[in-house]
Amino acid sequence: MISILRRMDWIFLSLLLAMAVIGLSTLYAAVHQGDTQLWFKQCVFWAVGLACFGVLCFIPTRYIAVLSWPFYLVALFFLVLVPFIGDIHMGARRWLDLGPVNMQPSEMMKWALVLILAHWFASREANNIPHLLIALLLSVVPAGLIVIQPDLGTALVLLFTAAALILAAGLPWRWLMVTLGSCPFLVYGLWLNMHAYQQRRVLSFLDPQNDPLGAGYHVIQSTIAIGSGGLFGKGYMEGTQARLHFLPEQHTDFIFAVLAEEGGLISVAVLLVCYMLLVGRMLHIARCARTRFASMLCVGVATIFILYIGINIGMVSGALPVVGVPLPFVSYGGSALLTMITALGLVMRVSIESQGYIPWQRPSNPIA
Amino acid sequence: MHNPVRTGFEQRILLFYLILVGIIVLLMIRMVLLQWVQHDKYSLQADDNRLNTMPILSTRGEIYDRHGKPLAINQTSYQLIVIPERVKDKEKLILSLAPWFKWDEKKQKRFLRKIKQSRPDRPVILQQKMNWQDISPIAARLHQFSGIDVQVGTHRYYPYGFLVSHLIGYLSKTKKRHLDAGMLPSEKVGGTGIERVWENRLHGQLGYQLEEVNARGRRIQVLKTTPPVMGENIYASIDIDLQQTAAEALGERSGSVVVMDVHTGEVLVSLSMPSFDNNAFIRGFSSKQWRLWMDDPRHPMLNRSTQAVYPPASTFKMLTGLAALRYQTPLTSSTSFCRGFIQLKKRKLRCWNRYGHGRVGIQRALMQSCDVYFYELSKQVGNKKLHEEALLWGFGAKTGIAIPERRGTVPKLKMYQGELMIAAIGQGSVTASPMQVARFAAAIANGGKILRPQLQAGVQSDVIREVVVSDESLNTIRAAMRSVVSTRGGTGYRVLSEAAVSVAGKTGTAQVVGMTQTSRKSKGSKHHHKDHAWFMGYAPYEQPRIAFAVIVEHGEHGGSTAGPIARAIVDRWAEVYQ
Repeated sequence: MISILRRMDWIFLSLLLAMAVIGLSTLYAAVHQGDTQLWFKQCVFWAVGLACFGVLCFIPTRYIAVLSWPFYLVALFFLVLVPFIGDIHMGARRWLDLGPVNMQPSEMMKWALVLILAHWFASREANNIPHLLIALLLSVVPAGLIVIQPDLGTALVLLFTAAALILAAGLPWRWLMVTLGSCPFLVYGLWLNMHAYQQRRVLSFLDPQNDPLGAGYHVIQSTIAIGSGGLFGKGYMEGTQARLHFLPEQHTDFIFAVLAEEGGLISVAVLLVCYMLLVGRMLHIARCARTRFASMLCVGVATIFILYIGINIGMVSGALPVVGVPLPFVSYGGSALLTMITALGLVMRVSIESQGYIPWQRPSNPIA
Repeated sequence: MHNPVRTGFEQRILLFYLILVGIIVLLMIRMVLLQWVQHDKYSLQADDNRLNTMPILSTRGEIYDRHGKPLAINQTSYQLIVIPERVKDKEKLILSLAPWFKWDEKKQKRFLRKIKQSRPDRPVILQQKMNWQDISPIAARLHQFSGIDVQVGTHRYYPYGFLVSHLIGYLSKTKKRHLDAGMLPSEKVGGTGIERVWENRLHGQLGYQLEEVNARGRRIQVLKTTPPVMGENIYASIDIDLQQTAAEALGERSGSVVVMDVHTGEVLVSLSMPSFDNNAFIRGFSSKQWRLWMDDPRHPMLNRSTQAVYPPASTFKMLTGLAALRYQTPLTSSTSFCRGFIQLKKRKLRCWNRYGHGRVGIQRALMQSCDVYFYELSKQVGNKKLHEEALLWGFGAKTGIAIPERRGTVPKLKMYQGELMIAAIGQGSVTASPMQVARFAAAIANGGKILRPQLQAGVQSDVIREVVVSDESLNTIRAAMRSVVSTRGGTGYRVLSEAAVSVAGKTGTAQVVGMTQTSRKSKGSKHHHKDHAWFMGYAPYEQPRIAFAVIVEHGEHGGSTAGPIARAIVDRWAEVYQ
């Protein structure tokens, strides 16, 4: 126990706690006029999440590696179930009602995919075509299932995560160039297969003023909120766009606009620097990890965080189309928060193991 | 670290670092663009979202008569409003309210549509301008209906309605130029009469309330209040009691009465009958009612005091006399013999008295209104001098009163002798409004000051022109006008000699269709062919205070028809002012 504590990456932990402070204070500003219950709930989620985080520090990564196949298969099973017994919500079938809990299998699949690909490439290189094809199959099947829900955003996050892991696993540069070259055709194919509402969303993103009270309304209002915040913001809990409810979804996906409006460019810079340090630390841990599985795991988690941050802020500031992606540690939402803290727990365990002082850990990876 | 595979992985991690920094930098650039570069633009948009200016209505100034009696006031009225979001069953509400206000099915449907289309948190007006009797049954049962309420507002009310509607006027809808000046479409502006003349003073100015509203348009807080400027109350020059007296004396007949202060030009009475009810313009009326007024052959919408011109008839003889006196023409100091007509080549120009007046000088000619004397006099005066004299005393020109008026006509410069003779007795090419005739009487009384008729009480006189005229000439005319009333045989003697104060006046009988040659008796009895009756003058004779002009359309004889009206006014005036 003492040795674990001594081996903890304290920089990483303090960055996580900094995120807790930023996240909870921003959330309070977003909900203080309405349902403050939500804020207390989120505090409880943080507490539970940090407990999970602590527990994970004691679980060796090789046990996690063993769990990756069962976890992936369960996630895939749920994902297959969704089209048949899923709940329809806003025209898409994404949720699974499992008695006491509702869950989004697509959410689970992101993390399952990180685990399975990390496991798959733990002893394999991505310059081998059969290995690569199997890895692609592992990613494309769930992505396809998510596209038909339809949930284009999550599917893209899944594919980007897979691509990042394959890239980290040593995809030859030449192949990467070829893939990038074929992107425009892929995008065109995607467009043809998109649902009307998805096409509308993309179009409204390209010209939000065209449809101010429809799909573009969210983005117009969040952009106004951000822009009117200025350098120093309007003051904590003083944002007019947030306070007067011009800003939609302000405690969930659009919470970044609350922070930007009330805290200004200064706060935004602080948040972005925190994110950069946090994810950078993950990449550092990935580099120092003792096993290849552990490295790949950290890269996968870091990728999901980069995607979440980039997509969410890009969407709220009107630079990307609207896809339902939370802002890590800030947006309200229990399950998303728990999974993200859990993921950080895994990374922390990797960091602890890489110190090399753990007696029951033998160097097992031939490549490392 | 010498393992080649491991170094390959290091390279990949480096790429991820770059991607991470790249994405953060891109996001930061986007934020700098929004929050720094375009900050002003978005600040404006945010204010646009949250700020709402609500106008606060000002109260229109009221109009009183010179003694403070109300002519145009703001009356409290009630309106029934409904706030859509507070009503559960809109159909049921309308249905249950319908019997109270006698709404037919068409109206019910219209209200229902209106309620459903309006913003749920803003009141919809169902019924306006109700008095307490109309609203009380509902007000007592307000608790039975959720979402409806009674609001208090004001509307314009003219207590005297018909009596002074031409002069007071009415309110009308705001036009584009008013909206451009910042008024609200729901406001009213003066459309005619005094309401229009003093629109700027009466109207007041809107106040504003700067509010912060939320996304649903609900008010959160008031940030700033600019109170409205209330309109100014104005005392008009009118004496409504005197106006009432004039109206009662005139009765059902068409005509006009103007009474003016001889020193200040204040208009005490400006009556025009038949009239209309200006309250109808506030209540609203059907197009059928409008047509009825517009098509009425008696023209109730016409303000006869200023907008109608009539031949001044014998009241013009003073002018002919003044012109002659100015140039000391021989006849002014001698006499002429009236045989009842004058021969002009082959035509016979008749005097109104077919038996003739015998030998008359200027004094007696005016007293008995001998036409022949003035036919003779006009020959000596001539076209040019008569034309100039008429202009001098304010005929043929606008009086300068603030309400619309017609200028009338003066004797032309080029006339045949016959035309000149007819013009000399105020017929033919000469026309004047009652306002001009009253002002002429005032000028005779005040020593030649041509005044602008004033509509506000207590103002300084506005002398347009001071006619240069000798006291001697004026006194001759004044004495003649006095003798009309005071001397047995004068045309106004029978009616006005017993008036409460001494009156100087002149009767007139304006021909409507008649030719001078034809006998007046033979003109038939059709009402609209009968002559108009005039009586103008001033009082008291010794120290003149008021001048007046009375015309009764188709009233035939000035003395017997218009005279009693003048008498009533003078008596009433003396009662109040002497």
